[in-house]
Amino acid sequence: MKWSAVCESRSASGITRFAGVCIRERALISLSFGGAIGLMFLMLGCALPIYNQYWPLFVLFFYILSPIPYCIARRLVDDTDAMSNACKELAIFLTTGIVVSAFGLPIVFARAHLIEWGACALVLTGNTVIFATILGFFLVFGSNDDFSWQQW
Amino acid sequence: MAGFLDNFRWPECECIDWSERRNAVASVVAGVLFFTGWWIMIDAAVVYPKPEQLNHAFHTCGVFSTLAFFMINAVSNAQVRGDSYESGCLGRTGARVWLFIGFMLMFGSLIASMWILFGAYVTQNTDVYPGLAVFFQNALIFFSTLIYKFGRTEELWT
Repeated sequence: MKWSAVCESRSASGITRFAGVCIRERALISLSFGGAIGLMFLMLGCALPIYNQYWPLFVLFFYILSPIPYCIARRLVDDTDAMSNACKELAIFLTTGIVVSAFGLPIVFARAHLIEWGACALVLTGNTVIFATILGFFLVFGSNDDFSWQQW
Repeated sequence: MAGFLDNFRWPECECIDWSERRNAVASVVAGVLFFTGWWIMIDAAVVYPKPEQLNHAFHTCGVFSTLAFFMINAVSNAQVRGDSYESGCLGRTGARVWLFIGFMLMFGSLIASMWILFGAYVTQNTDVYPGLAVFFQNALIFFSTLIYKFGRTEELWT
């Protein structure tokens, strides 16, 4: 009952339900599924017996780092300044750099023969899924006007 | 026959308004180019660890290119034109000198990387990949700087 009350009080567009479940709840479930699949690919790339190298776990560092520039930029500036645009664009630049680094690190590992190319491919697939999940999280949950840290 | 493509128009796609997202697209492209350049150099340094194959001094080109990137993008076009409300700590002339030095560093690094490629690798009959990596690092950082500087618009009201 409480979810439906929260759902209807938050809707701006009038579309709150899809097959009887709140869209945002559905998005949360599919995004967490996506995150689990991505981490599964990463762990497969490390833990399969033919590979058995745990070097690719370093990309977790980039996963955790990737939302930080955008969150800092959004908290630091308000919306109608010229400086705020520059800050947001710098945050987008740094975030893109972190994403590229997360793709580059397994490739460099494979070139240095620390991991096999098959493990590299699994880790790159996991990267794609995780970054799509993080992007989806920000698109669905990040852009409402009453964003606050006490949302849940 | 002469003007048969004159009335050709691209198919209309109204789902995304690209003019509003121009700054974000330019930032993303610049980020991809910049960091791809650095990862190419990291890859070359990992695969060719010996100083005879890739002299460690060649990393300075990339460092100066990066420094030039941040110098060039630290001043906005409005500061250089003298249009903004506050003049900043250097004023208009200082902003122009800063931009000039930044571009000089950027072009110098690019030319140095080409020199390294041809002088230390192509003419020496060795494996040429490290030289290509130095060149591509600096070329990609150069293009990233141009896109980040000139691909974004500073107007608040388009």
